[in-house]
Amino acid sequence: MSAAAIPHDHSHTDDHAHDHHEQSFIWKYVFSTDHKVIGIQYGLSGLLFLLVGFFLMMLMRWSIAYPGQPVPGLLFLENLPLIGGVFHDVIGRWAPGGIVNGELYNMLGAMHGTIMVFFGIVPLGFAAFGNYVMPLQIGTIDMAFPKLNMLSFWFFFISGVLMMYSFFSGTGAVQTGWTMYSPLASTTGLGVDNVWNHGHTWWLMAMVFNISASLLGSVNFITTIINLRARGMSWFRMPFFTWAMFVTAFLLLLAFPPLEVAALLQLSDRVFGSSFFLPTGLMEGGQHLDISGGGSPLLYQHLFWFLAHPEVYVLILPAFAIVAEVIPNNIRRPLWGYKSMVYSALTLGFLSFLVWAHHMYLTGMGTMMSTYFQITTVLISVPSVILLTCLMISLWGGSIRFNTQMLFASAFLPMFGIGGLTGLPLAFNFIDLALHDTYYVIGHFHYVVAPGTIFALFAGVYHWFPKLTGRFMNDKLGRLHFWPSLVGMNLVFAPMFIQGMAGFHRRWYDGGKYFEQTSADWLWLNEVMSIGAFILALAQVPFILNVFMSIKGGKKITNDNPWDATTLEWATPTPPPHGNFTFDVSAQRGPYEYSVPGATEDFTPQWADEKGKPVVAPASSPAAAHH
Amino acid sequence: MADNLEEIQKSIKKYIIIGSLLIVFTVITVGLSYVELPTHGMNIMVGMIVATFKAGLVALIFMHLNHERSVIYKILAFTFVFAIVLFLLFHFSHGDPLVFKDFDATSAVSH
Amino acid sequence: MDIPFTVSARPDTGLYNAKLGIWLFLASEVMLFGGLFSAYIFLRVGADYHWPIHELPVLPGFVNTMVLIASSVTIVMAWASLKLRRIFQFKLFMAITVACAGVFMVLKGFEYNAKFHHYSVELQDGTILTGHLPHGYEIQFGEASELSLTIQSENAAMDANPVKYVFPYLEGEAPAFKLTDGSEIRLDEAGFSKLQKETVAAAREKIEKRKQELVEAGKKGEADALNVVPPTTVKLTAVSPMKFSVKPSKTFGYTAESITFKDGTVVKGKLLDDRMTLEVDGVDARSVADKEKSLAWERKYLGDDWKKVFIANRDHAQHEFKEKYGDGRDPLKSATLQKHSYFIHIHSTTPSDHAPEGAGHSASNEAPAAAEGGHGEEAHGHHPTVVLEKKDISFFSNFTPKLNTYYAIYFTLTGLHGLHVVAGALVLAWFWLCNGKLLKTNPEHLANRVEVGGLFWHFVDLVWIFLFPLLYLL
Ligand code: HEM
Ligand SMILES: [Cu+2]
Repeated sequence: MSAAAIPHDHSHTDDHAHDHHEQSFIWKYVFSTDHKVIGIQYGLSGLLFLLVGFFLMMLMRWSIAYPGQPVPGLLFLENLPLIGGVFHDVIGRWAPGGIVNGELYNMLGAMHGTIMVFFGIVPLGFAAFGNYVMPLQIGTIDMAFPKLNMLSFWFFFISGVLMMYSFFSGTGAVQTGWTMYSPLASTTGLGVDNVWNHGHTWWLMAMVFNISASLLGSVNFITTIINLRARGMSWFRMPFFTWAMFVTAFLLLLAFPPLEVAALLQLSDRVFGSSFFLPTGLMEGGQHLDISGGGSPLLYQHLFWFLAHPEVYVLILPAFAIVAEVIPNNIRRPLWGYKSMVYSALTLGFLSFLVWAHHMYLTGMGTMMSTYFQITTVLISVPSVILLTCLMISLWGGSIRFNTQMLFASAFLPMFGIGGLTGLPLAFNFIDLALHDTYYVIGHFHYVVAPGTIFALFAGVYHWFPKLTGRFMNDKLGRLHFWPSLVGMNLVFAPMFIQGMAGFHRRWYDGGKYFEQTSADWLWLNEVMSIGAFILALAQVPFILNVFMSIKGGKKITNDNPWDATTLEWATPTPPPHGNFTFDVSAQRGPYEYSVPGATEDFTPQWADEKGKPVVAPASSPAAAHH
Repeated sequence: MADNLEEIQKSIKKYIIIGSLLIVFTVITVGLSYVELPTHGMNIMVGMIVATFKAGLVALIFMHLNHERSVIYKILAFTFVFAIVLFLLFHFSHGDPLVFKDFDATSAVSH
Repeated sequence: MDIPFTVSARPDTGLYNAKLGIWLFLASEVMLFGGLFSAYIFLRVGADYHWPIHELPVLPGFVNTMVLIASSVTIVMAWASLKLRRIFQFKLFMAITVACAGVFMVLKGFEYNAKFHHYSVELQDGTILTGHLPHGYEIQFGEASELSLTIQSENAAMDANPVKYVFPYLEGEAPAFKLTDGSEIRLDEAGFSKLQKETVAAAREKIEKRKQELVEAGKKGEADALNVVPPTTVKLTAVSPMKFSVKPSKTFGYTAESITFKDGTVVKGKLLDDRMTLEVDGVDARSVADKEKSLAWERKYLGDDWKKVFIANRDHAQHEFKEKYGDGRDPLKSATLQKHSYFIHIHSTTPSDHAPEGAGHSASNEAPAAAEGGHGEEAHGHHPTVVLEKKDISFFSNFTPKLNTYYAIYFTLTGLHGLHVVAGALVLAWFWLCNGKLLKTNPEHLANRVEVGGLFWHFVDLVWIFLFPLLYLL
């Protein structure tokens, strides 16, 4: 049932006018409850964090390629007037002479991972795109709980501030990897009497807020999808995008709480001196620690990976979601195997809860458990392959429009393919024993997340930008963004497989120089990868320019559905107003009716009454029309 | 849903009965914990069975799970599967059942 | 603009939004407590010590269970009353529910508080003594005159601050100190902060000077590279010797000649005394290989007379066990028998006054409850006092998460549960007291809210139903 069916809106039109005119800037754009504004807020902060994470990575890559040499420009930055001091507190004070030492490298590594995963990709893929697009696609006026939605963003905001603050704390940011394994993470820097002087405490606090934000978001997404679909929007008329968001929300909902447990127990270990993750007889610096022992480091890994494996699907499903919208739209054909994709996504979601310990083969869990996790891990690649195959087959025989978003979407396919296929060897525990914690693993998941998910996110930006702003992004700059990015990405990540198989450990701050006797053959790749990273960095300049220039200067769209798309978000005015739709929206058919035989146009929108009839929404109808 | 007013009227009595039952079973739980069964593991087992029964009463009657909508059952079913995975797999990975027959005994002093 | 289905249910799903939302939230709560219970199992199965059984006071736990059950009934009655528009009853039931939450938290507070003042000391041979520390536990360190402070210029995770971390443990007034250059200063708040500023400034100046020199020598690059100001260590000598008495937890450690405080300050001197005075209320010898040779029975500690009590108690327990079960059960496998035989509770000053514990099982079972429940005043003065040598102590803690994984998970589970109780009570109190307008204009909406709040409340009750037996009974 749609909004029109509810009985209690007599005095409603006035109310409506009311909150439209009297909303001040702060309520409209800062403390907004509108899902679109919140989506944009998440999007901008996500992009910002992506940039921060990228910057940390560049410092690491420098240290790997040129260990012991001062980072160019670092000292210059430190000597700048205002920001120099801040920069000194964050990075400079740990880099005597501008050289990234082991300590700083560990901070950079841990924070790069944390920021990219929890503050970059998830907020962008799930929270930003999901918040903006999903309610439009199912034809509702807003999320089910708009206030909680706002709260979710502000929790996320607080968590971001706390995370950033950890750089300024006495010990600097955490140094124990994004996985924060105990016992190391339970005991490092425990001597610091005031726990608030320790970056780790801030990290944990930030995670508690981040997790709460995700929980609020996922409750909201699921309720909205189940309860607020427009008239006629049955489950199998939902675009794949919405399905993927639905599954992702469930992953966040059910997988995050065990991580919250892990964070709480680790906090207790650090603050109250308990021994949840500390085994009996633990020594540091030749002395027994003043702890009771009796805990288990393995417990931490279980709790962590119970979240963190589903989390990797939280990273990839939104990417599939975006690509599955961009591809049919630009090949002018229906998505091939829409239903099998939906079932695959559901299976993927389910199975992703049953594979976590493939990250723990090296802990000596025991052969039975290893075998079990090996089997489920191999099983889970089946739905992943189905998703990818459906998208590839869709391309067959289409008349493809290679605009920028399509370039990114098509590049996503092989890139994810490489990432996924390199995961398979890791699934077998006898191979993994050799490859675990090497650059091979780094290569594997970065192929999935960086040229995979991030490319999909770019595709999404180019695709939905006209809906947000009423203007296209520049295609030439888009190409200038795409091709160097593709080259850069592959230069950075492909050599990692070689190094990994040669035994390069993932946490060497000098890139393996110390072990020159064994690593000499492949050390030169470090430089190649760092140059790749530099190319990648440069390639983002056209993108940033493009976004800012197109907001005011891009080519104007001529109607509300500039890509001739079929899903409901294109039925709204541009940009969609508060309340989204200007007519009583309903879904008449499936989501991907392109090139339907007999129709006058090559696309038949979900909202069109008859096949081939009105293609553009009646955008000029009065706001209260749906009452 | 017990939205029907008459039904609500009737269920009031039910709530009081269930409340008293819960109290009775709490007393039973406390009593049973002082009876030494052949192994302490059995004590735990019995205690957990009683607790599960009580929890079932709360969920079914007080939380109206005896007549809820199918969406909610589906959500809870998945949740329970994952929660059980959380219990069992953690537990199993504690030792290696293929190698040690009585694998718990290798790691535990007492239960 | 109103969101649909906030009050009435969507026909095809049969649910209003908030109800769907709360069930999703509860699903995630199931995973939260699921993770914690799973941790409980993991820790218990892997415990390398004797997992406590019946060690918490059962009575308050039992009463709390009753209270929560009662509140579960009243909240559902409140909802039903509101549905039937019996407003007075609705308000009454809400009030009772919130009051129950209050009672629960107060009892919990008493339970926690008793734990903080009760200690457990593990000796080198595995014997555990429980009891109270009548004077706390402080080490005496004297003849101290040399102080070395490390003053940070940056990276101040741990910065010297003797005013806060050293002098509070000093007996008497802080003396004046001499710097290496012979000048004399007072280390009060102002004096130290002046010293600190001067030291940092000097360190900076040194760096700047070095930079200047390098620039003049045409080495601009090297000059720029000096971007981090190193810490400075300052040595001070007291004009008259100092004496400290400090809890070991307030230091990083000590040796016979020096002691390091939590700000990194090192004081040289002489260790005078680091023995611990304990009023013993329990001896647990379960982990000792030869229980009759436990350190506890040494002359300097409890001595032979208490050992006799221990043996009598053990024989009694084992005899009773045999009588009850014949040869049908292996006494070594009975955790309860192990506890009854080798863990004695002491509630008199001398062995001769000690009532035999075998007066019946339930009595001895309640003993730990009584010892803890009857905390405070009463406990003191009725127990033998021993003075433990530091070399005999391997670990000690009060009954906090630090003591062992059992208390760690106990505090975490009950603490988190307590937070849920407080949060739930606040929300319910809000519906009861602050939603008067909604009650008049749209009671159905309020009834939905109460239903949703009630669902949360029942869940909190449901968690407690498992917590109570797992932590208090089994
Ligand atoms: C397609 C099937 C996949 C398989 C069979 C697979 C398998 C594995 C295995 C076995 C590992 C553990 C390697 C080790 O630590 O020794 C691993 C690591 C990882 N995978 Fe995958 N994976 C797959 C897809 C994905 C996807 C879609 C993502 C999404 C982003 C992903 C992200 C990661 C990450 C982040 C790590 C490393 C985490 C860390 O140790 O820091 N994987 N993968
Ligand atoms: Cu995984």
